[in-house]
Amino acid sequence: MKSKTVKKLLTLTMSAILTVGCLTGCGGNAGGADAGSTAASDDGGDAAAADDGAAADDGADEAAASGDIVDFTFFGGMPGTEINSGNNEIQDLIAEKTGVRLKETWLTGQTVSEAIGSIIASGTYPDLIDGGDGCVDLYNEGVLVPWDEYLESGKYPNLTNYYTEAEWDQFRQDDGHIYWCNVFQNTKGEPTGTTHNDEAFWVQARVLAWDNYPEIKTLDQYFDLLERYAEANPKVKDANGNEMDVIPYTCLCDDWRYFCIENAPQFLDGYPNDGSVIVDFDGKDPTIVDYNTTETAKKYFKKLNEEYAKGIVDKDFGTQKYDDYIAKLSNGNVLGMCDQYWDFMQINDSFRNTGLENEGCNYVPLGLTIEEGMENRWHTYGDTLNVASGIAVTTDCSDPDLAFSFLNAMLDQDIHNLRFWGVEGVDYLVDDDGLFYRTDEIRANISDPKYRADHLCFYSYLPQYGGTSDDGKNANLPEEQPSEFFNGLAKPMQDCFTAYGAKTYPDLIGSVKEDVNATHPWFPMWSFSNNLDTSTEGGVAWTKMGETKHEWLPKVVMSSNFDSEWENYMKAYNDCKPEDFLAEMQEELDRRVAANK
Amino acid sequence: MEEKVLDTINENIEEVTEEESKVKYYPPKKRMKGGDLIFNICNGIFMLLFCVITLYPVVNTLAISFNDGVDAMRGGVHIIPRMFTTENYEIVLALKGISRGAIISVLRTVIGTLLALAANALLAFIVSQRKFVFRSQLSLFWVITMYVNGGMIPVMILYKNLHLTNSFWVYVIPGMVSGFNMLVMRTYMEGLPYELQEAAQIDGAGYMRIFLNVISPLCKPIYATVALFVAVGQWNSWFDTMLYNRMSDQYTTLQYELMKMLSAVTSLKGNASAATTGQSVNITPISVRAAATIITMAPIVALYPFLQRYFVTGLTIGGVKE
Amino acid sequence: MSSEKSSEKKKEFAITKKELIKQKVLIIWTVVFVIYGFIFYYLPLVGWLMAFQNYKNKTGFFHSKWVGLTKFKFLFSDATFIRVIRNTFCMGTLNLIFTTVMAIVFAILLNEIRNSGIKKPIQTISYLPHFLSWIIVTGILNDALSSTGIVNELLKNFGLVKDTVPFFSIPALFWPIVTFAHLWKETGWNAIIYLSAITSIDPSLYEAASIDGAGRWDKIKHITLPGIKSTIIVLLIMNMGNLLNAGFEVQYLLGNGLVKSVSDTIDIYVLTWGISQNDYSLGTAAGIFKSVVSIVIILLANNTAKKFGEERLF
Repeated sequence: MKSKTVKKLLTLTMSAILTVGCLTGCGGNAGGADAGSTAASDDGGDAAAADDGAAADDGADEAAASGDIVDFTFFGGMPGTEINSGNNEIQDLIAEKTGVRLKETWLTGQTVSEAIGSIIASGTYPDLIDGGDGCVDLYNEGVLVPWDEYLESGKYPNLTNYYTEAEWDQFRQDDGHIYWCNVFQNTKGEPTGTTHNDEAFWVQARVLAWDNYPEIKTLDQYFDLLERYAEANPKVKDANGNEMDVIPYTCLCDDWRYFCIENAPQFLDGYPNDGSVIVDFDGKDPTIVDYNTTETAKKYFKKLNEEYAKGIVDKDFGTQKYDDYIAKLSNGNVLGMCDQYWDFMQINDSFRNTGLENEGCNYVPLGLTIEEGMENRWHTYGDTLNVASGIAVTTDCSDPDLAFSFLNAMLDQDIHNLRFWGVEGVDYLVDDDGLFYRTDEIRANISDPKYRADHLCFYSYLPQYGGTSDDGKNANLPEEQPSEFFNGLAKPMQDCFTAYGAKTYPDLIGSVKEDVNATHPWFPMWSFSNNLDTSTEGGVAWTKMGETKHEWLPKVVMSSNFDSEWENYMKAYNDCKPEDFLAEMQEELDRRVAANK
Repeated sequence: MEEKVLDTINENIEEVTEEESKVKYYPPKKRMKGGDLIFNICNGIFMLLFCVITLYPVVNTLAISFNDGVDAMRGGVHIIPRMFTTENYEIVLALKGISRGAIISVLRTVIGTLLALAANALLAFIVSQRKFVFRSQLSLFWVITMYVNGGMIPVMILYKNLHLTNSFWVYVIPGMVSGFNMLVMRTYMEGLPYELQEAAQIDGAGYMRIFLNVISPLCKPIYATVALFVAVGQWNSWFDTMLYNRMSDQYTTLQYELMKMLSAVTSLKGNASAATTGQSVNITPISVRAAATIITMAPIVALYPFLQRYFVTGLTIGGVKE
Repeated sequence: MSSEKSSEKKKEFAITKKELIKQKVLIIWTVVFVIYGFIFYYLPLVGWLMAFQNYKNKTGFFHSKWVGLTKFKFLFSDATFIRVIRNTFCMGTLNLIFTTVMAIVFAILLNEIRNSGIKKPIQTISYLPHFLSWIIVTGILNDALSSTGIVNELLKNFGLVKDTVPFFSIPALFWPIVTFAHLWKETGWNAIIYLSAITSIDPSLYEAASIDGAGRWDKIKHITLPGIKSTIIVLLIMNMGNLLNAGFEVQYLLGNGLVKSVSDTIDIYVLTWGISQNDYSLGTAAGIFKSVVSIVIILLANNTAKKFGEERLF
């Protein structure tokens, strides 16, 4: 009622002022009058205009052709590559089958929580959203549609069966409902295990080739190799054949991606990726250990500090943004870094485009430990269930039924194949045994950005499977097709794999082969810590610890006096009361252990 | 009559040069000459340095924007492009966000300026009326707004409740009237000869007629000044886009697109090459950023030298009210 | 609205009816402007009450819980907030001092150039950066100060440093960089007022001084500077009110994790807590603090000026 009056007044005031504006003759009569009439009509139908904004944008001509297709919007709380929405062949094929075309927008220029915060503040939501770390905020705001009744309705069997009941239960929030579902690390059929979609210290294949494929097992050996290579090859060539200074090692510290610098100590000690803590259960009850303060952590940062002083570590590492980092890696002059594979895998396309892959610029993962002869668990065998974030439907969505049927359809094998393999005969061929394969020409196409934008449509943050498809032969994802995987590698990478007698990435890393869900039933602890917020003491400590590490870790690495700076860091760190956080983690660990008994 | 006032204004501006010619004519003292020379040389060097520091970054950006991207990454491109190309511009201009942002930026600048001008002028006219009953109260009401404001969060909630978020109008409605612009205009109007208005009133003209036909024509210089202030503000703002129109692509602005571009290049690279054919290899963040920066600054840089006299007047009136 | 009407009635007695009828159109517009101003400038002040609530979007203004001064207590016990106040205040002061001094110096030196064929172009160039948005300015600055940027190139060429200086990773350099950014952007623009103040100084003073044998420095010191003193003071007071407003865009665009402890300002704090953490009440409380301090500063400055018998705003 109140806002209506206000609106009326506004319209009145505005048109009145506009009239004056026209009369004074400031040289904009026509424009002013136009604006006046738009204002009047716009004020009435503002909400509607905002709702079908995307449709009005680029769907006008499409809508005429196929009236049934609904345009949905999607926001992903992570940087991504926009496809040519409305002009993309596979997107249209999927739209014909599902009745939905999804316009994706991705995070740019802000942190996730800032972006989600401003979306909440503006009060208008996309139809579908993956809020990343901001999922909980959206839930607290009450703008997500509960999944329960849709899952139970039986109308969306793919979704219902996407997780087991026990797994779905883990997604339940404190009000007992399910609001989102994580779309990654879900294996159908048999795992093919070709990729290492986890963290590692990576090194360019040419560096290994240069040293005749040595065994690199420890952090010291790794940096020794980088040093020797950089000394022998201070300049490398870029895609145009111009010389560039080599950057032996870089390290990302941007926003939540600062895991690249901070979490290596847990792996170096041989533990799997519990993310925020180490769980020590060697001959006793599982106990939480803080990896930030271990001897290994100190050794690791001391090593980085020494290497920084030697000029081995990138001078700009502390301030580079994610996009700078990716741009840098794509140049081919960065020899190594520590990162998750999914965080930088797009540069493989770039290397293919620029031909740098033939120079051996692609990265090979190494399973390093702090001392020689330790087990490593860089590679996680078995799916990791991340219940902290995922795809959600918002209350602004005009037709939730359609949204769920769309999500359901994403898991149909034919649509799944369209998304990840593409169009048969164009993006992949089928051999006599029914196995999918690609030619070099197709591979070149696939990695061409223009082709990707106009033709391919992964919908990469919608439900998907790993493992093998319904036919029992082919992998759901092309990079997991064993034959396709090896043939798809550039020559230097194939040489490298052969030299080490490896067929897959995990072979190269040599992690302990164990199903993590069986040996570590609480895994991963980060699915709990990611959802901590400042409403508990542990959550406050966690936030502060993050901020402190963010600020201090690069400082420690860049310091000219490591030991005293480390002392200062430890002091600042202990001021955050990490014990509050660790206590809450221990509680959760005990809960998980008990739940599994 | 109108010309006379305009002349006074022009004189004011010309004064700068006129007065100097008067000042400079003093008999040079012999013993000062050496000191003067040193002073002049130092001053010259200072000014030269000043201009170089001011201009270099802009010129450098221009050079990089016309230089091949991969080549530019090697560094060493300073004032003249080493490998000339217009590819960067082709790519940037073909981006959907840029073209859409440009349209909205132009619209918000034009509409926002016209609205602000009309509103501020009328308000200034009202408070400049000596006989007006609520003159001082209205004046105070607006002066207070210059110093007290609600802050980001309450304002944001207000806009949301007024349904200004996710709309074009959030750019032009909220900032339409400002205490500062009103004061500047009022000061100018009060400086106009009152007899003009009195004469018109005797002829039976009402207040609106006086405002439109008598006062406004005389106020062209100050209108131009305020228009310039508002236009620059409109053209350059990005935070409102980020905060209020985050999810509404159709209301994106050039500055916001540039901001996204400066902080993100991966998505850009894909989109950019999608917009052109094939040549994606030579696109680098540096060159594309440079081109986008130049596109964003070009309109205003091309215009401001011609509007100099107006903002000099406006600032002088606004800054020193007495 | 109702108060508006009653005050209208009161005035009716003081002024003739005829005059009021004549002013009808002015009064109608006044009402429009007051409503507009009330909505966009005064209504948000009502929102300050949120700072005493635990405001949630879900429950809205009328149903959120009242928590008294809890939010303010949190603010002042939060070490980050104290640091943020320090940053805002220090950067604001540095900017104010340096931009004022630089603008005056520039105005005086420019005024000393007699050849208007040289002077005009310099002036035009000096305005240029003012018209560029902060996005552009910080973008340019980022490029110039990067490890491959011009500054590092020059430093290396002149042998002043051996390794590139990672400008944006060194906390101690952040404030100077921000101050420099302001200097670069606004010197020419700020000098406009001083220049016009200088030209309004009585030329006969200079002539008299010349006859007395005063050199250029003497004239600057004894005629020019005292001549523009009142302008300087008025502007200083005016800008002091903006002291705490001077810290958002630049710091937001230039800041990074490494220099967070010196780059975050009150406004960024509001953004982080208010928007990112969705604590609207805390964000509002921080905003109130800023507004109140700003007003106190400007009143103090005004009074100080009054005491010393100088020009003042009100």
